[in-house]
Amino acid sequence: MAMEICWLDNLAKAQETARKTNKPVLLDFYNPQ
Amino acid sequence: MGTVTYPQERVAKFIQLNFIPVQFQTSNKAMMEKFAISWTPTILVLDADGREHYRGVGFYTPDDLIATLLTAKGRWALDTDQLADARAIFEEVISCYTASNAAAEAIFFLGAAKYKMTHDPKPLRETYEELKAKFPQSIWAKQADHYRLINK
Repeated sequence: MAMEICWLDNLAKAQETARKTNKPVLLDFYNPQ
Repeated sequence: MGTVTYPQERVAKFIQLNFIPVQFQTSNKAMMEKFAISWTPTILVLDADGREHYRGVGFYTPDDLIATLLTAKGRWALDTDQLADARAIFEEVISCYTASNAAAEAIFFLGAAKYKMTHDPKPLRETYEELKAKFPQSIWAKQADHYRLINK
């Protein structure tokens, strides 16, 4: 099964994880239509 | 991006390895306003405190997205004083994504990382010369133009 991106929808949680892992946050804004 | 670029496995692997990915639809007006988003797709690279280090607008092919995000990660590392990491990332972009738009930006910021590591201005002069030779029409060549005044 192909790997998919596990997008979060909680920025605060992402920032907390970014701090623990020393990774940057990628924030993607998109229009689903 | 959602139908062409993000489903590519190499893109998904790259993003999961290098970033904490977050996605918001345009219907999330609070976040659209918070980050002053007026057009999509828009990608931002933030640090753990929410400070913005990179912004890109428009569609990216898989290869362009990886090269762009790697350069963006380099800028995050540079801005957060992880200079050795920044240098290694920019060198990877320059060697692995030679033809990408991101390579010119990586050359520019590699010079900045080297200068910040050594306080020797020679890498800035080398940045100017490399951009002039490889990407003479790029915005980064223009941005580096004043480095030509630095003595060899």
